[in-house]
Amino acid sequence: MDQSVAERRPEPICGMNTWMPVPARILDVREENFNTRTYTLQFVDEEIRRMYRFTPGQFNMVYVPGVGEAAISISSDPGSTETLDHTIRLVGSVTRAIQRLDTPALVGLRGPFGRGWPLSAMEGKDVVIVAGGIGLAPLRPVVYWLLHNRDLYRRVVLLYGCRTPEDRVFAEELEAWDARGKIHVLVTVDNATGSWTGPVGVVTSLLRRIKVNAERTIVLVCGPKVLNHVAAWNFLQLHVPPDRVYVSLERNMNCGFGRCGHCQYGGKFMCRDGPVFRFSEVADVFGKEEV
Amino acid sequence: MTATVKIGQQLYLSCSALDDMIQALRGLGFTVVGPRVVDGVISWQTLETAADLPRGVSDQQSAGSYRLVDGEPELMFQFVVGPDGPKRYFFPASLRLFEFHVSQQNFVLDAGPPQVPKLAMLGVRACELAAIAVQDRVFGIDDPTTFRCESEPYYSQTRQESLLIAVNCTRPSGTCFCAAWGTGPAATHGFDLALTELRDGFLVQVGSKRGCLLLEKLPVREPTQAEIELAEIKLERARERMGRALDVRGLKELLDQSIEYPEWDEIAHRCLSCGNCTMVCPTCFCCSVSDTTDLGAGSQQVSRTRQWESCFTHQFTYTVSGPERNTIRGRYRHWLRHKLGTWWEQFGSSGCVGCGRCITWCPVGIDLTEEVRRLRERSQAPGSRGPTLRPGEVDHGPVSR
Repeated sequence: MDQSVAERRPEPICGMNTWMPVPARILDVREENFNTRTYTLQFVDEEIRRMYRFTPGQFNMVYVPGVGEAAISISSDPGSTETLDHTIRLVGSVTRAIQRLDTPALVGLRGPFGRGWPLSAMEGKDVVIVAGGIGLAPLRPVVYWLLHNRDLYRRVVLLYGCRTPEDRVFAEELEAWDARGKIHVLVTVDNATGSWTGPVGVVTSLLRRIKVNAERTIVLVCGPKVLNHVAAWNFLQLHVPPDRVYVSLERNMNCGFGRCGHCQYGGKFMCRDGPVFRFSEVADVFGKEEV
Repeated sequence: MTATVKIGQQLYLSCSALDDMIQALRGLGFTVVGPRVVDGVISWQTLETAADLPRGVSDQQSAGSYRLVDGEPELMFQFVVGPDGPKRYFFPASLRLFEFHVSQQNFVLDAGPPQVPKLAMLGVRACELAAIAVQDRVFGIDDPTTFRCESEPYYSQTRQESLLIAVNCTRPSGTCFCAAWGTGPAATHGFDLALTELRDGFLVQVGSKRGCLLLEKLPVREPTQAEIELAEIKLERARERMGRALDVRGLKELLDQSIEYPEWDEIAHRCLSCGNCTMVCPTCFCCSVSDTTDLGAGSQQVSRTRQWESCFTHQFTYTVSGPERNTIRGRYRHWLRHKLGTWWEQFGSSGCVGCGRCITWCPVGIDLTEEVRRLRERSQAPGSRGPTLRPGEVDHGPVSR
């Protein structure tokens, strides 16, 4: 994927009608942890397969016929869109229906929707990625992007936290990324089970182990709500300016393009204006309850 | 009979010729819709003749109350808006989007959306025209940046096909406040024709080429100076007799500032979270799409339907961690802040047009003009706090280093 594609919002695909999903086949299913799997999908239509582009941080509406849709971020390499990965945790009616499917079943996709991570604003900066649990999924395309375009960025640190070592998603890749030496990966767990000898504690406790140069750092955060809040505030306290702290947030979504009203967050439509926000854009409602 | 009619021209149409207009529209292939008395309210229905209009009927509206009463026997439009209006024709409460079945390789489309009706809307009020303009922006019909997969063809096509015949309000109700927004009581643009009801006929203002063509088929004449003046006086009187008032200055700032005010808790004690206000609001656009399947074994026939949704339900914001807005306080606050404040950020206008429906149809009579007045009072009280967290300001979290 070239740089210009990353800056332009790619045109979303759908069927004959606005709300009509396009069929995609499940090519592969991988277990990430006890309730999370990564599905590799491929559009049935070759033309769509060729046309489809997304930027890291964007999502698709993933559809199970007769059940419904869920907004799920794309977790694969933005440079190879022949297939797409969606990393899905079993939490609701749609994801439960997805988990009942196996290769070579059909699901539907509409997308990509939303605004992703600030790839060009990251250039020349130290990039600190903070992820909690399945929050690593929408950041995995950024990691691929950084690995492909490593020279454009300075130091890259990935801080990842999850409940137990067994809950790590993309566990082998986390080790491989670190081993390649291009990205410094630090993983912490809430509970050290098995043979874990690494850090124990919440993700932000890893901040003690890195040096943050606020002058040239850009921060990308995605995790559960409490992590988003605490991580963002921690970096602001380290004097990273609010327009260089980015968070990817979550809301109930139905349409994906700012029409159904469900995902409103203050004055923003999370599906269209987000899900990735600069802290300074949402500072008026960030951390406020029920906005 | 006038030979040629020009846009902007004013003409006089007699009361008896209103039926000619309806029949002419039907002759042109339009389905004529407008106000009728149904189940004790004024509701929008199909009109076959002018006799279907609520002649001699007036309405009394106040917070939580709506009654039809006898009015002057010869007048046809001496009521204002009822619970519904043009919105549900462009944006139906329930719309079957399409039907398809799943084959080995594909989703095979069996049926698309219903055919777009060709509507002539008779009796659209000025606040309704303003609401239609708001929804045009919501649905992005004139926005060239809208991608195909984000467009709303049913809305756009129904809008393009429809003919709007406005009726100016000469008798506002007890919950009207369009004058506060400048959206009424007289229609100023966005119509094909606009009528002002005089005693035995209508002063007609022509708003479009299609309006011209329609009037050329009808027995209209030049109005007298007295008739023009009478219409002006009636509208001026209506402007003065609004049942409610709203100070619209600085509403966005007020609502940003008031986010933690105790007034929200007080409203939450009264609000039933029934969603009536969102169902009657002419600009509310929230919706959900759901699937319906047949029960036949293996046939996988699916139909997808879009229905109105209300931000007052729990499920509206439901995610795995529960509803985002779990309390009535949060849901009412969201609704009011959206309608009067954040709508500006999203669509460049207010989401309120002053029709007063949310006041009339609230079962406990919550009155947004009153609630705004109380928020404003709090904001002006000595010692009132501004926003708790200004952009870039941090006052939370443990201090490290």
